[in-house]
Amino acid sequence: METIAVYWESRIKTYGFQRITDLALIEFSCPLSEIKLLGEILSQGDLKILRPKFIIAQESDHEISFIFCLPLEEGENFHASLEKTPSLTNHRYIYPVSIIFFYGPHFGDRYGIATATFSTLSKAGIKIIASGCSSASVFLVLAQDDIDKAEEVLAETFEVAK
Amino acid sequence: MKKLKIGGLKQSLELCQFDLRGPDSSEEIASKVSTLLLYQKINMEFLTYYPNRNSYHQLTFCISQDKFFTTSEILKKECSLPIGWEINSRGHVSIITIFPHQSAIKILGVIMVSWAAQSIPIYGIATSLSAISFVTDYHLIDKATEVIQDLFQLPEDHAPIKPEIRYYQSDIVKGD
Repeated sequence: METIAVYWESRIKTYGFQRITDLALIEFSCPLSEIKLLGEILSQGDLKILRPKFIIAQESDHEISFIFCLPLEEGENFHASLEKTPSLTNHRYIYPVSIIFFYGPHFGDRYGIATATFSTLSKAGIKIIASGCSSASVFLVLAQDDIDKAEEVLAETFEVAK
Repeated sequence: MKKLKIGGLKQSLELCQFDLRGPDSSEEIASKVSTLLLYQKINMEFLTYYPNRNSYHQLTFCISQDKFFTTSEILKKECSLPIGWEINSRGHVSIITIFPHQSAIKILGVIMVSWAAQSIPIYGIATSLSAISFVTDYHLIDKATEVIQDLFQLPEDHAPIKPEIRYYQSDIVKGD
């Protein structure tokens, strides 16, 4: 059942950096007891056609908080829809934000990828608005103005496979 | 009714989850915690970080269940976390990753509704370009999978849902 993978790279290899710009970030929360209602809202009506570029959800204190990153126009409509839903609490609507994301071989199975990412951005003074790492991917939501600098410093830490 | 097609589904091995919450800090918590775990060669298989919540910041991550004790000890050590940060942990969780071809938000909503109806909790979600990952209880992982299989149509040549290989990175390098 076990396979030992050895990666010995002077720079961690990635398949390349991709970015998505001109997004809106919407943060809202819902009591855990209302999660079924939220699911119904998302799966029915107009919202089901939304094309979110990134979603994370964190649970705490009997609530679940969601971050949605959507194209600006969709973000506006989504935000307006949420405001009409009494059981949801709107916390934040930020725009424009951008996403930079990257993948690499067995990123989900290897230690050190998160450190390389977060330490690089921290040393460069780049603030992360939100992040999600799952499977073999790293997604970073940043202020739009930070995206060039972020790619520049990440490209010094990670090696883009040719 | 015709089932919505999805591209795939997979389960993780048994994991545990840590939620770190605290006030704004000059220290970059994601960088600090990931570095502490790196020293112990602990892989973060799932991570969400949102440092801008109204009253506090939150870093959530999942690691292998067999690293639960070591990680708890690391985080509880004095000076591991900035002042005011609290640690909440949950053992025995797992991740279900679903690969929707399209209609990702609809699929997300349908799963939330169906799992809620079966009392299957969601402790975290993160998406990538092609996947949605859900953190739930390990003991409910098969039930959660069955619910998804009842709702959606998987490809006929689908890869095994349960992990068949456990990868981990060795620090022993031959010929070094």
